[in-house]
Amino acid sequence: MAAETARQFEALERQAQTLMAVFTGAGYEAVAPAIIQPADVFLDVIGEELRARTYVFTDPDGAELCLRPDLTVPTCLLHLARHGQADVVARYCYNGPAFRFQPRGIDAAHPNEFRQAGIELFAEADRERGETEVMALILEALRRAGLREFRVRIGDLGLFQALIDALDLPERGRQRLRAQFWRHDAFRAELKRLGTPAAQATGALNKALAGRIAGMDPAQVALFVSEHLAANGIELIGSRSLEEISEGLLAAVADTRAEPVAAATIGLIETYLQIAGPARPARERIEALMRQHGVNVGPALERYGRRLELFAAAGIEVEALAFSAEFGRNLEYYTGLVFEVVTPALGSLSPIAGGGRYDRLLAAVGAGAEVPAVGSAIHTERLLSAVNGGGR
Amino acid sequence: MTEKLVLAVPSKGRLMDQAAEALAAAGLDVRKIGSDRGYRGEIEGMNGVEVAFASSAEIVRLLKDGEVHLGIAGEDLVREQITDADARVEFVRPLGFGFADVVVAVPQCWLDIAAMADLREMAPLFRRRHHRRLRVATKYMNLTRAFFREKGIGDYRIVESLGATEGTPAAGTADLIVDITTTGRTLKANGLKALADGVILKSQANLIASRGAQWSDGARRAREAIVARFRPTEAPSGPPP
Repeated sequence: MAAETARQFEALERQAQTLMAVFTGAGYEAVAPAIIQPADVFLDVIGEELRARTYVFTDPDGAELCLRPDLTVPTCLLHLARHGQADVVARYCYNGPAFRFQPRGIDAAHPNEFRQAGIELFAEADRERGETEVMALILEALRRAGLREFRVRIGDLGLFQALIDALDLPERGRQRLRAQFWRHDAFRAELKRLGTPAAQATGALNKALAGRIAGMDPAQVALFVSEHLAANGIELIGSRSLEEISEGLLAAVADTRAEPVAAATIGLIETYLQIAGPARPARERIEALMRQHGVNVGPALERYGRRLELFAAAGIEVEALAFSAEFGRNLEYYTGLVFEVVTPALGSLSPIAGGGRYDRLLAAVGAGAEVPAVGSAIHTERLLSAVNGGGR
Repeated sequence: MTEKLVLAVPSKGRLMDQAAEALAAAGLDVRKIGSDRGYRGEIEGMNGVEVAFASSAEIVRLLKDGEVHLGIAGEDLVREQITDADARVEFVRPLGFGFADVVVAVPQCWLDIAAMADLREMAPLFRRRHHRRLRVATKYMNLTRAFFREKGIGDYRIVESLGATEGTPAAGTADLIVDITTTGRTLKANGLKALADGVILKSQANLIASRGAQWSDGARRAREAIVARFRPTEAPSGPPP
């Protein structure tokens, strides 16, 4: 699919040279990670959406491998192989194929094989500066490739995390909201549950069991569970211990007794997630909303503001940036800024480029601790089609 | 190309016997052509119909690719093997046999887990404690993924299992399973219980039409003739009491 004719292939090659020249000119080292990657690392970190779209296979030796669905994870692995802790500042760029199953069928905008050209910046401690560098460089590369008309959408997952941290929520509810952020329906269901009085919220827990456990300490619950299993001829199988099962029971009982979260708090989360519009006014709206509710999201909002100032200083047209609080909710490994470049011709479902901050990824693939990381990739076939008239 | 309608019928196992009974009950007399082990057949009195005998998995593939017009197969296999099943095939008639529920089942000893919401809560905690995701053994990878996504469960991994799936939690190779059950007896014998809202699909054998096949006028007429023989079953879903 990547190029059906020699002419298309050459056009893509020429475009790739332009893009890579911009990247290497800015001090990014060109790398070419392996196309075939170990499957388990990918499947663990990329999030369920992409996981279901990864081509996985077993080689004759029994090793589980995959065709890389993106180049970010392979670049992380490459960096990690060079620097065990991954905490050395590094700039990489690449251009090469990635593979994704298209559940709704293959078409020109959704090929199962496509080329990504992109950059990754690791261990840059000044986060906003790193984000500005990456976004400005990608926009510059797009312009040099001939793209004229495009829009940039941004989101900030760090701001959402800070909001959830700052709110008065039961700890388990907070964890659940964080874990479900990626899944809209489950998130909404969780919000609703948090706001419901406990008596009505009792879900699956066996009520008779709950009644007997209420008031017990963990050791008593463990004893109760072990006696209950023995009395009913149930064997303890699998990897969860008696303690884990007991803790689960206790937590479920506690949930049924928790005070409902204030309606104002639920409303604040919902209102925040609806904020969308030009990036600078959005900041003021967020600030006003937080002031109104007396919530302090700490440095997250300052970072948002500083980022916009740095963007402006780097020549990015801040007035044209569209912020959306919801944006980024389907890209599980991002942790801060997220952005996407879309063109009127291809539409918002087929972005030409995308990227953002993913500070937990290097730790997840083996670095000792979190390492600041920000990157972005260009969908080169889409770019070419946009430049060749698709995107006038 | 042949103008004939091709009907794919299971060639193996219990489904073959039940399909043969259902066809006979509908007054369709299927006969194999040539040697006893032939894979082609015909229906008495229906010149425009050719019968192809194939395994269930093969029938689903033939329907998906439009290589046969009609076929008899379990809904579970169709939905598992064809990601956009409703776009590729049409479920014409439930046939009242081959009942099987595809369910999520966990160890009975998990007293704290009775519904999918409990599993959703537990999965991230499990991952933090065991430094790995929950392992789900199944041969229904696509159905499992879609269902778990709908239920908001992300912290899991699928372990493909092509046989004796129920035994994997006790053997320690998986933590829970997604599998078919009819009575729940096999689950129980393996120390497992189905989750209350963990029924992914209530499946049975169906007469299925391929949307991608070449539907000539002759094939259309033959289809109507065959479908007319199968009276709609009274209870299209759920096994007989």
